[in-house]
Amino acid sequence: MFSDEIRTIQKLGVRYVVLQVLNFTQVIISGLMIWKALGIVTNTESPIVVVLSGSMEPAFYRGDLLFLMNPRNTPYVVGDITVYKVPGADIPIVHRVIETHTVGPLPTDQSLLTKGDNNRLDDLELYKGLRWLQRKNIIGKVHGFLPYVGYVTIAMNDFPQLKYALLGFLGLMALIQRES
Amino acid sequence: MPRKKVAATSTAPEQQPEVVQDPLDPVKVNNANLVELKLALDDSVRRYFSRPDQFRTNNTHSNVRIGLGVASVLVGTGTGLYGWKTEFEASKMIVTIGVLLYFLLTALQTAYTYFIEGKTIFVGKRKTLVNRIETETITLSSETKPAPTPTSSPSYSLILAYLRSSHGGKTLIKRNNLSQAKDYVNFFDSEGTLDEGAFIAWLRDLSTSLIDGATSPINDPDSVPR
Repeated sequence: MFSDEIRTIQKLGVRYVVLQVLNFTQVIISGLMIWKALGIVTNTESPIVVVLSGSMEPAFYRGDLLFLMNPRNTPYVVGDITVYKVPGADIPIVHRVIETHTVGPLPTDQSLLTKGDNNRLDDLELYKGLRWLQRKNIIGKVHGFLPYVGYVTIAMNDFPQLKYALLGFLGLMALIQRES
Repeated sequence: MPRKKVAATSTAPEQQPEVVQDPLDPVKVNNANLVELKLALDDSVRRYFSRPDQFRTNNTHSNVRIGLGVASVLVGTGTGLYGWKTEFEASKMIVTIGVLLYFLLTALQTAYTYFIEGKTIFVGKRKTLVNRIETETITLSSETKPAPTPTSSPSYSLILAYLRSSHGGKTLIKRNNLSQAKDYVNFFDSEGTLDEGAFIAWLRDLSTSLIDGATSPINDPDSVPR
């Protein structure tokens, strides 16, 4: 199956292979750099997240894609939908702010309490010992969303073979195609 | 020529040797894809002009592309690793610098390929010792010219520039420029197989007229007096 490609490589030499591999690597690294740039611009480490649970229904459903930003100098208000990570937990949680208290000189020094719209109780049990969330636990607040698109990520996490198959296929395509 | 494979324990009376690489291996492309047609002819041009009896390939263009590309990949990988290992707030400054540097290097690489390399497909040099060392430089560029009418076919246009100089390029001895286009149908059949013999014959004619027709600038009425 690869005999044509191997013959082409033999004919054109190492330089061709180097350029193809470089091309492929640059595509991957460009994606990474765009992600990092987006994070810098929105001031958050994960500018795009996927909703994993149904605790914010009917606002967000499992599989929705959320766009986050973390404005530096604006305090959070009740009603903001925030994504936060409790220290010691890996998974970020998307819930709504139901209480805010200013605890320092700046308006952005805040303690927050959150609750999922679809949950009966507030998030105190999820805070793993903390009584309030601090600003530094918050990854960002939601300013936009796309329904269903996140299911691709959920599928790839539940079936890792799918992830490797997709990456393998994209890699193959990038290595075989020659740009004009 | 078809490939013949030999079985290790064959009892056949005649055993054909296995052909490892067939020098007359036909090049086959998708006839409908203009990019593939051009790339196939470009490759053939490079194969012909980089032959040992022809010119020595000058790899500057691809070296610059590779250099800038490798630099950008290293910067990008470094930035990614740093951002992964460090806390977000602390890493912001360096990640911003890394990202900007990456996009700058990639932009430089793209600008070089578009503006400086452009349509060039081959640059070659050849040194001959006459009374002094004379260097011949050949620069080949190609482009696809679309079909002028719906019933004609697109053509491959080759632009050749030839320079003969000495004393490290300071003295110009001879120069010539030539350009010719030929329809792709002349070289590819309906299956998409390249008739490399016909193409090389065309290249040979062009390079002969290019080199034989080179004039020295003193006799060239269009040249600027030195």
